[in-house]
Amino acid sequence: MLSKRDFFKAAGLTVASRVAAEAFQPKDGERKVIVVTFGGGVRYAETFSPEGLANIPRLAALKPRGHFYRDCRNLGVLSHFNSTASIVTGNWQRVDDFGFEAPASPTVFEAFREQRAASAMDAWAICTNKSFSSIGSAGTPGANVVLPKQLLIEAVKDVVRRAEGMGVADRDNVQRRLESILQEGYEGVGWTIFKAGRKLDRHVQRTLTHALMEYINGPEAPTSGDELTFFIAREVMREFSPRLLLVNFWDMDVAHWGSYSLYLQAITRTDRLVGMLWDEIEQNPRYKGRTTVLVLPELGRDGDQNAANGFLNHRSGDASCRNMWLLALGAGAAAGETERPVAHVDVAATAAGLLGVKWTSQGKALKEIA
Amino acid sequence: MISAALQALIDKGLFERIPATFSTFFFEQIKDWGTLFPAEHRYFERLFTLLDRLPQAEFDELFTGLRASELKMGVNEKNWPRRSFTLDQVDFLNRNAHYAEWRAGVAKIFSRLDPVLDADTARRGRPRFAAVISPAELPVGPDRLWKRLKGRRVSLAAPFDTAEHVMPLLALGEAAPYDRWIVQASDSWKAPAGVVSLNYEALEAYRKRLMDGVQNVVEKEQIRGPRELGVRLRKMKILPGEGAAASDAVLAEFTRAVLLAGNGTLLLNNTFVEWAAVQAVRRARPSMLVAGFGVRNKVKPFSSLLIFADQEKTNPIPAQVDTLGTYVDLEVFYPYIWQEFEKYAEYRRNTVFLFAAEGMDEAMLIAPADFTLPERAAGAQLTGALREWMRL
Repeated sequence: MLSKRDFFKAAGLTVASRVAAEAFQPKDGERKVIVVTFGGGVRYAETFSPEGLANIPRLAALKPRGHFYRDCRNLGVLSHFNSTASIVTGNWQRVDDFGFEAPASPTVFEAFREQRAASAMDAWAICTNKSFSSIGSAGTPGANVVLPKQLLIEAVKDVVRRAEGMGVADRDNVQRRLESILQEGYEGVGWTIFKAGRKLDRHVQRTLTHALMEYINGPEAPTSGDELTFFIAREVMREFSPRLLLVNFWDMDVAHWGSYSLYLQAITRTDRLVGMLWDEIEQNPRYKGRTTVLVLPELGRDGDQNAANGFLNHRSGDASCRNMWLLALGAGAAAGETERPVAHVDVAATAAGLLGVKWTSQGKALKEIA
Repeated sequence: MISAALQALIDKGLFERIPATFSTFFFEQIKDWGTLFPAEHRYFERLFTLLDRLPQAEFDELFTGLRASELKMGVNEKNWPRRSFTLDQVDFLNRNAHYAEWRAGVAKIFSRLDPVLDADTARRGRPRFAAVISPAELPVGPDRLWKRLKGRRVSLAAPFDTAEHVMPLLALGEAAPYDRWIVQASDSWKAPAGVVSLNYEALEAYRKRLMDGVQNVVEKEQIRGPRELGVRLRKMKILPGEGAAASDAVLAEFTRAVLLAGNGTLLLNNTFVEWAAVQAVRRARPSMLVAGFGVRNKVKPFSSLLIFADQEKTNPIPAQVDTLGTYVDLEVFYPYIWQEFEKYAEYRRNTVFLFAAEGMDEAMLIAPADFTLPERAAGAQLTGALREWMRL
């Protein structure tokens, strides 16, 4: 039988410890950084290549307003966890591919919290894959990690198991189970967050529940884990206004199923959601004008000529797998393009610099972003 | 039990002379000799005979780079036992900082060996034929169906019918073991005797058992990732009631491997067809292969998140076909299949590729110049030309 803690973990929702009820204090006027990853992996061919632009109309339209790095390389292990861990630590990670080990060096979340006396509500990671529960910290207090899709999966499983009425075809059924899991997790598991401050705990719960309702009752049939990721990220921004946020979209990893059309649809959806995230930044006074957004693919996918079956995988280590792009938008990102190769590990150093954090890593801060 | 020729090379100590990462990988490959295709047997025998016959200086020079990479990677007797290739070793390679260099070293070795092996293969070349058939339901015409291929469009006097125009070829003459294949999404065509037949629909019972198995192992046993999962599922062989492949050890293992390759073959009919065709070419090198795609269903809201669950059971909404999505999927799969053939010397310059769609009055041909077919051909002319090409 699952312990309450296990149950909560299974639901995919972990929140860093040391949360105090009064911790949430928006610090308007300070610089904010949002890192957005096309998690799961996407190729240049389907994004910023001439043929790929049709799949990313929002990013294509935003590109002239930002700074575009044409050659951003992932020189590390081409697994999901190691790739994103390299982004948030600034060092190429070679830990367990499936998140059974924390990153081997400190994350920028931890350095930020320690050096800037940032609260637990100031650093969040909204991710997808269950293995990412340890992406927010190498051991010291780091980011709250929320895995919305895992919560959704648990709710759907539960609805299917109960086999009541129209099952998952009834949005209300799914919503009830989502809320119930969220509530059971927060009310019953006896986490540090619960002990630290019931008031804030309810605030977190209310925030996430609100995002779930918006997702479930949206105008389109809610089919995508990434849409829920967006709604949760937006709600966290509105309620807690974190200064450092990682949003890890994931739907495009459907490419592993071998459906090119579903892969393209997922890319276009992520593009739309990134556009909506940018719209939120522009409309939210606590973000507008002081936020730098760094958008990049977590990794690429194998080239069409590759023996490993092209876009389905990301094993080959060929250029299609490693060579991607990075688009910097917002504060400090002057319009322009850079040809010089940069790397995934440069993201953490850049974020640290923008947030006033002293930082050393394999990666170096991107000098074009100030 | 491996072949006498290969066993003699092993006994002679050939595998001890080869760098550890290289020899261990191949040792693992040949370990299950009884589940390998005849073409694989021949390849391994030729490869290691070639290595054995290399003059010592050439042999040493061939492996110099790989030995240097292994030193840098820290490969030693302790972490790399010579006779077993485990997941730990895969992990060791993947996570090693010198992995890219090691991989380049392996590629360099094959860039030297392959031309020699290929020249030998080409000398013994014979005509071959591949047909890639699309379903009738696709919402586009021949002008848009094969946009990613460079071939010759031919007009057909009557709508294309695989059963009438292609299937008779497979029944002619005597087929060598595993030399003629039909891989299809549904049970559209009956395979003549001696022809390997893999059918996504017909494998439903096996697929569902595998999906349940995956779900159980992942959820109840807290497995540590896909590789460990792969080891656990390696023993889930097809049962006699689940398909004809169960009675043939080679095809049983082939079917299991195709379905558990982690490429969506358990989930989507056309992914199964593409990957099974690619694997058949890669491993069995058939002289004739017919790949028949179907139409994929739309992904259902919510329940599609439960990847290994039976969508028909978990979601009461009726399944809907996705013809446009299928078209986009297949547009990429056509060249993937074609280029897989072209990787091997057996097929270059002597293979006729026919891309056709059921009921369509045009097809696309990629063929050597000496394969002749008029711009407008009757069905019998097409079949006749193919028969002549295959010397049947």
